[in-house]
Amino acid sequence: MRTKLDACLDSVNQVLLGKEAQVRLALTCLLARGHLLIEDLPGMGKTTLSHALARVLGLSFQRIQFTSDLLPGDILGTSVFDKDSGQFVFHPGPIFAELVLADEINRATPKSQSALLEAMEEGQVTIEGATRPLPEPFFVIATQNPVSSGGTFALPESQLDRFLMRLSLGYPAQAAERALLLGDARRDLLPRMESILDHAELARLQAQVPKVRASDALIDYVLRLVEATRSQPQFAWGLSPRASLALLAAARAWALLAERDYVIPEDVQAVLPSVVGHRLRERADPTGHGGGSLVQWLLREVPAL
Amino acid sequence: MSSLPGIPRIALTWLLVAQVLVIVPHLVHLPLWMIALWLGAAGWRVQIFRMRARYPNGWAKGGLVLLVLAGILLSRGTLVGLDAASVLLIATFTLKLLEMRTRRDALVLIFLGFFCVVTAYLFEDGILAALYSLLPVTALLTALVGLQHSGFAERPWPPLRLAGGLVLQAIPLMLLLFVFFPRMGPLWSLPMPSDKGVTGLSDSMEPADIAELSRSSALAFRASFEGEVPARGQLYWRALTLERFDGRRWSQSSYADVPVAPQWSKAGESLDYSIIMQPSGKRWLYVLDVGEMAQDSGRMMNDFRWQRLRPVDRPLLYQVRSWPEAAREASAEPPGLRQALQLPEQGDPRSHAWAAELKAKYPQSDALVAAVLQHFNREPYVYTLRPQPLGRDSIDEFLFDTRRGFCAHYAGAMTFVLRAAGIPARVVAGYQGGELNPNGNYIQVRQFDAHAWVEYWQPGRGWRSIDPTFQVAPERIEQGLEEALSAEDGFLDDQPFSPLRYRELAWLNQLRMSWENLNYGWQRWVLGYQGEQQLKLLQNWFGSLDWQRLAIALVGTGALVIGLLALWLLKPWQQRPDPQRQAFRKFERLLARHDVRREAGEGARSFALRAARQLPEQAEQIETFARCFEQQRYAGGPASRDALRQALSDLRRALPWRLSR
Repeated sequence: MRTKLDACLDSVNQVLLGKEAQVRLALTCLLARGHLLIEDLPGMGKTTLSHALARVLGLSFQRIQFTSDLLPGDILGTSVFDKDSGQFVFHPGPIFAELVLADEINRATPKSQSALLEAMEEGQVTIEGATRPLPEPFFVIATQNPVSSGGTFALPESQLDRFLMRLSLGYPAQAAERALLLGDARRDLLPRMESILDHAELARLQAQVPKVRASDALIDYVLRLVEATRSQPQFAWGLSPRASLALLAAARAWALLAERDYVIPEDVQAVLPSVVGHRLRERADPTGHGGGSLVQWLLREVPAL
Repeated sequence: MSSLPGIPRIALTWLLVAQVLVIVPHLVHLPLWMIALWLGAAGWRVQIFRMRARYPNGWAKGGLVLLVLAGILLSRGTLVGLDAASVLLIATFTLKLLEMRTRRDALVLIFLGFFCVVTAYLFEDGILAALYSLLPVTALLTALVGLQHSGFAERPWPPLRLAGGLVLQAIPLMLLLFVFFPRMGPLWSLPMPSDKGVTGLSDSMEPADIAELSRSSALAFRASFEGEVPARGQLYWRALTLERFDGRRWSQSSYADVPVAPQWSKAGESLDYSIIMQPSGKRWLYVLDVGEMAQDSGRMMNDFRWQRLRPVDRPLLYQVRSWPEAAREASAEPPGLRQALQLPEQGDPRSHAWAAELKAKYPQSDALVAAVLQHFNREPYVYTLRPQPLGRDSIDEFLFDTRRGFCAHYAGAMTFVLRAAGIPARVVAGYQGGELNPNGNYIQVRQFDAHAWVEYWQPGRGWRSIDPTFQVAPERIEQGLEEALSAEDGFLDDQPFSPLRYRELAWLNQLRMSWENLNYGWQRWVLGYQGEQQLKLLQNWFGSLDWQRLAIALVGTGALVIGLLALWLLKPWQQRPDPQRQAFRKFERLLARHDVRREAGEGARSFALRAARQLPEQAEQIETFARCFEQQRYAGGPASRDALRQALSDLRRALPWRLSR
């Protein structure tokens, strides 16, 4: 089973070159049943990553390009009158896929954004009075572009909190970029990818995540981390209990990916930047972008043992 | 954070404010160029902060130091002594600004500032000075707080608020320490800066001396009586006696320093009072005749004066019981009596002749004394603070030619005449009278109340005091110097701002009296709260107590408080024993000896990996221990102390032996 996970990673890494850490984190996020926010410049491989993940995990994939005139109905779907049967027939929107890529989520109006975010939180959508469950599993990978913010609606902190992780891909290393330039086009590679896991296997893996052992000593470490964000003066506000749950879940998934059935502090540290980075702000700069230096402080100063 | 963190703008601002506040009380005794020095240094430092100027290099700093030293030498004449040293201290406090690069330098400057605040008390310890010193202390604390802020902090008030809060929180602790902390005697006695400033009685009297003194309105001491305050005319505060006369100058005889208490017997009513004496730089104390006090306050010398072992260099409180009607050395002839008959070999023939004439006329001592007093009363003598200078035969000239003078002239002349007539006599120097403060029911004696009078000895009756000045200017004794000089505008005319000059303004006088009263309370209860008084108060509260017990109690209470705080903070009962953690700590200590130290945020596995990289020969043992630890601590493996211990001792054996790095 775990070898299959490694095969998944390998497969994605062949498409998205030189981003092993980010790919691993993205897979961690999906295993922990979390949604992922990828923040980077255009053309860094955000779409390729999501598409490749959908392929190897055997998930149906839909992409929604968020624009300022996107309406909630465009995401969720609408009922259309069918002349033949004389009835309204529901036409499901792109949200009814197992892996949804919400591209440039910050370009849409808050109304459309919240339609997506509610669906993420509830696992179901209610349209015209009828509640319709979303497929299982259901992942959202949202992307946003941190530059050229004109005419965008930045996600508020409360909605950032719904994403388990925030990742940034970053420029590829030179060797990776050379391989990229010499190799085939990514668009051609993607359809050739084979699905490695089926739904049942994925569900089993996801069910294993909560069973990964987190000892008292490890829980103490998580508590120390959370407590530090709540008591130290440089933090504008502390982490919520949802954040500490997310941190533990991500650490468990990371440990599972590392083929361990128990969590060690290094697992927590590995996922800490992407899990809490978007949930923290510096006191000196509460409207700023995020807590990169705060996370580094946590990693350095909070006793791990 | 860089290794040399700079000084935030707010801290610099507050530091400059604090410096001004610290220096201001020193301005009274600082040379004026110190202001220029501070302005220059502060301006320079601000320009450095704005990056418009550089830090001075070594040559410039050395030059500045030399310049300051030369300035002190020029304005003070010396580099040693308290006065010059305090100027030097303030100068360094100022110049340190120019080499204040890092936070550490700023800390040094702030602590120096606290020290400067304390040194100001050497010069002024009144209630205003004490209240004022809260300002520089708060400003220094604010600078200290500001130093911890980020360089981007903009608003100057939050540190001030915090520092103010700290000062307020410190007040209960301060009161506690004030009440309980034992006052230790000084380890050494500093020559007080007031040595030349305080005009006190000197141990010799040349009539020109006291003319200077009489015009100073500085406080000499305060006395508060337990019962009725005696009439002004009875308040003759003895300080010392002058027995030796060389024709111009009266001085103490060497015999007076013999610490043998003279014989005397109590008679009549006693007076109880306490005195708060201002620093005089001299050893003697002021008492009414014949005084009695606790042994540790001082000793009675052989001429009935009271003296301490050390000069009085800070305010001193002592309790006295006096017996005004006591007979002094009445039963037997005092051993040093011939001192009281000593006269110069030659000079003053007219006075000698007059004395011989009187002696022939009045064989009885009392009658002779009465005749001399009457002479002063009847003849046209004038009491003045501006006597004419006297020539070689000063007594003759005063008695028969000028007839103008003040107490020292009269006392000196009378003693001379009595001695010439064979009656043992001496001049007593001290203070007379004082001003009653009706608000506080105590008497303030100022330097212009300094006085000299005469005492003479008779067999069977002992020493008796008489005051020839009373015969000439009774108002001097009954109402004070001011009345005596009403005809002459000599009173305090060199002190136009002294409130004592404006006594006719009732409200001002009232204000002055209240202020004096406040100051008296400060002296009595705050500055005077030490030694005996402290012990007495504590004994009132806790029963019998001595210094040892107090010290033990103090140390015990301190230890108890700190212990309780430590218990409360550390909560050892909540800490469960953690053998894995203990073993890991040993592992860390072992590796630390080999220069591999764990960072706080480093987990066991990453630390072990790093250690294995640094100590490749022992990598296997290190990894074994780490794996064992991880298994037990995180993987839910069976907790086995022995396994850890075994892995640890394997590692210890594998490592070369080292006690420390």
